[in-house]
Amino acid sequence: MKELFKQYLDKGISRRSLTKGLTAAGLTAGAAKTIAQSLAPPAAAQTAAAAPAQIREMKGTGGALFTQQLKAAGVEFIFFNPSTSDSPIFDSLVDESGIQLIKGVQEGAVVAMADGYARASGKLGVVVVASVGLPNAVAQMVNSYKDQIPILVAASSVSQESVGREQMQEYEGIERVTQPMTKWHWMASATTTIAETTRRAVKFATTAPAAPVYLSFPENLLRTEATAQIFDKSLFNVSMKVRPDKLDIEAAARMIIEAKNPLLSIGDEVFQNDAGKEILELAELLGLPVAGQGGSLGFWTKPFPSKHPLYIGPLLRQMRFPGAVDVHLNIGSKHGEQHMPGAKQISMRRDPTSLARGAPVELGMVTDIQLGTRDLIDAVKALATPARLKEIAAERLARTAEFTSKQRKLLDRVIKETPYDGDITMERLGIELEASLERDTIYVNDVDSGKRMDAFMSWGPDDKTYIGTGPNILGWGMAGAFGVKLAKPDRPVVGVVGDGSFLFSGPQPLWSISRYQSPVTIIVLNNRSYNNERNRIWMSGGTQFQAGRDMTCYLGSPDVDYAKTSQAFGVDAEIVKDPRKIQEAVSRAKKANAEGRPYLLDFNLARNGIGAASAWHPAYSVASKRKRMV
Amino acid sequence: MRKLVLIAAATAALSTVAFAQSPPQLPPGEGRDIVAVACSQCHTTNIINIMRKSAAGWREHVYDMFDRGAQVSDTEVDVVVDYLAANFGPGVNVPKFEVAALPDGAGKDLVQQRCGTACHDLTRVVVPRHGRKDWDRVVARMIQVGAPLTADEGKTIAAYLQEKFGEK
Ligand SMILES: Cc1ncc(C[n+]2csc(CCOP(=O)(O)OP(=O)(O)O)c2C)c(N)n1
Ligand SMILES: [Mg+2]
Repeated sequence: MKELFKQYLDKGISRRSLTKGLTAAGLTAGAAKTIAQSLAPPAAAQTAAAAPAQIREMKGTGGALFTQQLKAAGVEFIFFNPSTSDSPIFDSLVDESGIQLIKGVQEGAVVAMADGYARASGKLGVVVVASVGLPNAVAQMVNSYKDQIPILVAASSVSQESVGREQMQEYEGIERVTQPMTKWHWMASATTTIAETTRRAVKFATTAPAAPVYLSFPENLLRTEATAQIFDKSLFNVSMKVRPDKLDIEAAARMIIEAKNPLLSIGDEVFQNDAGKEILELAELLGLPVAGQGGSLGFWTKPFPSKHPLYIGPLLRQMRFPGAVDVHLNIGSKHGEQHMPGAKQISMRRDPTSLARGAPVELGMVTDIQLGTRDLIDAVKALATPARLKEIAAERLARTAEFTSKQRKLLDRVIKETPYDGDITMERLGIELEASLERDTIYVNDVDSGKRMDAFMSWGPDDKTYIGTGPNILGWGMAGAFGVKLAKPDRPVVGVVGDGSFLFSGPQPLWSISRYQSPVTIIVLNNRSYNNERNRIWMSGGTQFQAGRDMTCYLGSPDVDYAKTSQAFGVDAEIVKDPRKIQEAVSRAKKANAEGRPYLLDFNLARNGIGAASAWHPAYSVASKRKRMV
Repeated sequence: MRKLVLIAAATAALSTVAFAQSPPQLPPGEGRDIVAVACSQCHTTNIINIMRKSAAGWREHVYDMFDRGAQVSDTEVDVVVDYLAANFGPGVNVPKFEVAALPDGAGKDLVQQRCGTACHDLTRVVVPRHGRKDWDRVVARMIQVGAPLTADEGKTIAAYLQEKFGEK
């Protein structure tokens, strides 16, 4: 009985196991429960403050060592799809209430759920999938890799003694499958080292630049028992936040104070380091025009208030405004360094690997974006009097506001001139969503031409939050939205996908959305086309454009009913065709969400751009080729 | 059958006469400088050169680009649209397209004179096979962006194309 108490107090077993053990040892169920309760540890917050960080020894299967070390690392969810050989991992969770299993029914969706969770929470997303399904996971790992999202992917592989025998499902060098999209991968060689290697994986994945890591566990090692140490997260996942050099920061401060025509461009690292407020403060302190991220690729957040008079839109080549820049300060954008003749480039980056990688950089700093921006603000304030700063900021703001107010006027005009008749256009939908979505909505998107709606909607730290993927490896969106909602259950979450994007993941993410009662709204931009793809292809004026033959992009045959597909998974849904009925439909979705139910809106949209009107596609009928009618 | 072969041969030849081959040039005029800078920040101006649209068509296009981040303001947008319509409008500065032989029928002349002269050659008209609704939509769209046709002429053309170049 003593041993039971010790195990329980060491968190080696759950309260349920303790109670079970006590009753097995002869106590009545009631007595066992009372004892278990009296032994219950104090509230987690109190122990964290009081107790020193701990190392505990535990004996368990490789599977249990893995999950207990994950739990000690603060992992709350494991996103998974099971196989026979990784069952020791799941066996170890039968009595473990600290880790919730989240099942996805295709490995790409499993990774995208973990990735969405990691993007929204800043925490590690943990994935366990079957080795045979690992290649399914890999495409979505590219999104995580390119955007530096921390995920740990694990799979069990064939038992060590069988390696090389070409077993039925063995393929040699399984870990190498993940090599191009992981920072680190490892194949376990002994059960005793599983906990230690799990710690290393957590640390590697979460240290900036964050990335996916991969762990391969030979089946026998997961089953075998061993004794190993479990470390509390504070003992290995130590802060890796870096501050820039003081002299560099002073130099940068001087340059942006003295500049005649400065420009600040910002990127995803601002979101990742939660530095939105600091960036706003810096921009306002010095009246810096702020260029964000845009286009169809290469960014996944919009961390600056898009309606702010200092916000001038995406960073382009040779910006008409502000014109010839003399100091260009890039903070946290992978694609923000640009060769601007005559301009000095300062770049503050969390990721050293892409700092000064292409364009010339006069002053480069590796830094946590929040801390570095705070230091820069302080340095600016130390170098100039408040009165002088006010004067500088006022003059610069006036110039920028003149430009942005004109842009705003044109936007208002476009909104006014956007028709209500005919099919729903992307513009109309953007306008109506802006009017109907809650201001604190997290807008999770996996779209291509759907990005045209961004201009009609507002974003920023105190506004809607924008979360997408930089490389646009499609099929991420619905699962991504599920992961985001898991991380932020108290925020409205809308997942927006193109019809093309929907079909890349298939409806599988709806299975998890339904199973776990995740009250998200999924919006399908159903234009029956790879619309933007066709525009890009036809723009070059090639043969398809000349012949008016869209050889590749038309999707409308068969005409997929996404609402019905959704209903098949138990997710209520409707088709929306009338531009005047968009807001009503969104209200129904919001109501369903408020009641705890997911909802899907299949918006039938007009295609736009070159060749948009045509539904022509190369026809082919297998049925008509038959000589035997079978 | 012979007729179809004839068309196919003619269209194959026609597809070599295209805007893509001509160098992208922006003729002088008010608005040229805005277009030259604002439109080339993300793509080459060849895309402008290969299209012909009315002011309404170009306005739609310019608004689309603005939505995506093009730096044009409310005071400039009309100048830009006027410039594009004047220099890249239907019938402006187009190569002389050969007139393809088409099957006889009501609407044949209209198609030859209006659909294969002002903006593009007849390749893109006679090669793709469209269903009935699709031809209606395509012709309506062409009128919307600048095809020099009245609504009635559009109907005649759509009916002709449905009959002669409809889905088989
Ligand atoms: C997994 C994956 N495969 C292929 C592509 C290439 N691709 C880019 S956009 C696109 C079509 C997107 O279609 P849809 O989601 O319907 O967008 P829209 O019609 O709104 O442009 C494709 C296939 C991709 N980005 N990701
Ligand atoms: Mg589409």
